[in-house]
Order: sequence, then structure tokens, then C-alpha cells
Amino acid sequence: MNAQQHPPGTSIGECPLCAMKIAAEGREVAEVISCVGCDAELEVVAVSPLTLAEAPEVEEDWGE
Amino acid sequence: MRRIDLVCTRLRTEERMIRDALLHRGCAVDLHRDDELVLSLDRRRWADGDLVLMRSMSFTRARYLAAIMESKGSRVVNNSRAIATCGDKLHTTLALIAEDVAVPWAFAGFEERACISRIEQAGYPVVTKPVVGSWGRQVARIDSKSAAEGILSTRFGLGRAPDHVCLVQQYIDKPGYDLRVYVIGTAIGGIRRRSDHWVTNTAGGAAPEKYDVPASHARLAERAAAAVGGEIVAVDLLETRDGDVFVNEVNHCVEFARSIDVTRIPLPEHIADHVLGLLQ
Repeated sequence: MNAQQHPPGTSIGECPLCAMKIAAEGREVAEVISCVGCDAELEVVAVSPLTLAEAPEVEEDWGE
Repeated sequence: MRRIDLVCTRLRTEERMIRDALLHRGCAVDLHRDDELVLSLDRRRWADGDLVLMRSMSFTRARYLAAIMESKGSRVVNNSRAIATCGDKLHTTLALIAEDVAVPWAFAGFEERACISRIEQAGYPVVTKPVVGSWGRQVARIDSKSAAEGILSTRFGLGRAPDHVCLVQQYIDKPGYDLRVYVIGTAIGGIRRRSDHWVTNTAGGAAPEKYDVPASHARLAERAAAAVGGEIVAVDLLETRDGDVFVNEVNHCVEFARSIDVTRIPLPEHIADHVLGLLQ
């Protein structure tokens, strides 16, 4: 589920860590994506406009 | 219209694929983030829902949310008992041995010196792991008394009382891989996880490979799933170099994003079909 670089003219967001441009198309709130610029895990906070935040730290009881 | 409540921590690849499989089958899906749920503790129905697919990554949230929702009349998959059992490796072991499912020998203790003494009696190497945890975190192979002292000193010196449980397990000399069987009602396939490291979690970098599950492994995995009360689980098997097979763990929130391209097992579709079958 890697983020894609944006085609010209599409709505875009920005990685809060490396400022990589990320296309908004097809994104959903709560989705977790990886930034292709810095490999950070990002969470989609809002889609219009696309707002990204660092995904929460993994907690010790998270898993399968 | 058929409808399912899907509870998740994050919308990961897995949850997105399961949600899409349900939508493609004409089922409405209400997505709920576990950190946003605040539920009244009474018997009023929740979200008008009958069927809840629990995909919370958090063991704490999953087991409590499942228990609350069940008390409110929902059918939760996996149910709270399965989550509580699978999420605690000590309870998993107890549930498996109660049904005579083959497991590595294990013991548990609650005090540092007593545990080191017992490890000395068992001999080296042995494996210790937190009773709650996943993705191979803090799983340690103990090769000597000095290693035991260091690891147990950390285990008992940090954390809180619930962390001060020492689960020790037989070290299995695997042939470079372990096995995982997916049970969704019945065993539907599996993966082999290969690694040069003795820990073979794909989250830790093990490579998934195709694995044609023999009938004996399928039956063992189904017995393990039944022992913990799990409907949708991934059963991890350890195979010795002599061909003996043990159940190591049972996972109640099955992950497959790293392996589905290799296995081609349509797990999201199987999961969707299973839960929709429960609605009928």
C-alpha cells in the first residue's frame, strides 16, 4: 500500500516528515500508507484536503 | 440489506481487502476505529448490529470490545473467548494441552531465581517470550545461565506485575522455516516462513513461501483452532528435523499483507464468505 507520486492536476497531500507529495485519489480516512520518500508510516487524517500524520507508535499489545 | 460492523485499529491492507470483499458481495460495512469507541455497559444493542468482525490490532481493546459487544447481543468474530485465549500465550498453551494438541513443552513461573533454577534443570537452549506480545517482540533464545540471568533480570526488573510472568518453552530446532495454516471454519491453506534466523515471523523479515498443507497438518490446525474457540485464525506450526509437528501459537487477528502475493490464497474472500455465511 505504498503512496504514489501524484499525477499533474490531482489533489495532493504532503508527507509531514519529508514533504513528499502524495496523491489523494483513492485514499480513505484511517488508512495507513507508507511514504515512498522516507518510508514512514502515515495515517490518513482527512481526505479533502488530503491530510497526513505520522501513524501512531505501535503499542506493546498490538499484533496478530 | 446485509450489514457487518468491522472494528479495526487502522485501515491496513488486510482490513481494506476484507472490507472490499464484503462490499463486492453486496454487504454493507460500517467501519469503526477501536480508539473512537466508547460503549455503555448494559444490554442495549450496539450499532443495531448483529455481526461484528473484530480486526483490532490491540489485544486489550479487542478482547474488551468483543466481550462488551457480546454482552449487548452481538455475534463477534472472533469471539471474546478466542481473543482472550489466543492473545495470551500461557492461556493458549493451556487450551491446547486441554485438548491434547501437541505443543512444545513449557513451564511458567513468577519469580526470577525460581525460574532460573527451573531453566537450569531443563537445560539449554530454551525459549522465553512475553505471554502477551506479537511479531516476535522480546522472544529470546536462552543458551546459557548467564543469558538466563540477563534476560530474566530484565523481564522481572521492568514493567508492571502483569509483565512479571516467565513463560519458558522448549526450543525446537527447525529446518529453517516454520509453517502457518489458515483456518477459516476449516483449514484453507498455509504458508511456509523461511528465515536464516531462528525467529521466523514475516513481521521480522522471514520470507513467505508456498506450502501445500498436508491433511495431517490441516487436521492439527483445525483441532488447535477448536481448542481456543477460534473461527478465523492462523495456526503456527513448528516442525522438527525428525518430522514431529507442534502447535506454537494461534493468532486471532490474521495478517496476510506480506504473504498474499506469494500464496495467492484469497484470504479476504474466504473471510468475507465465512462471516456472510453466519448472517444467513
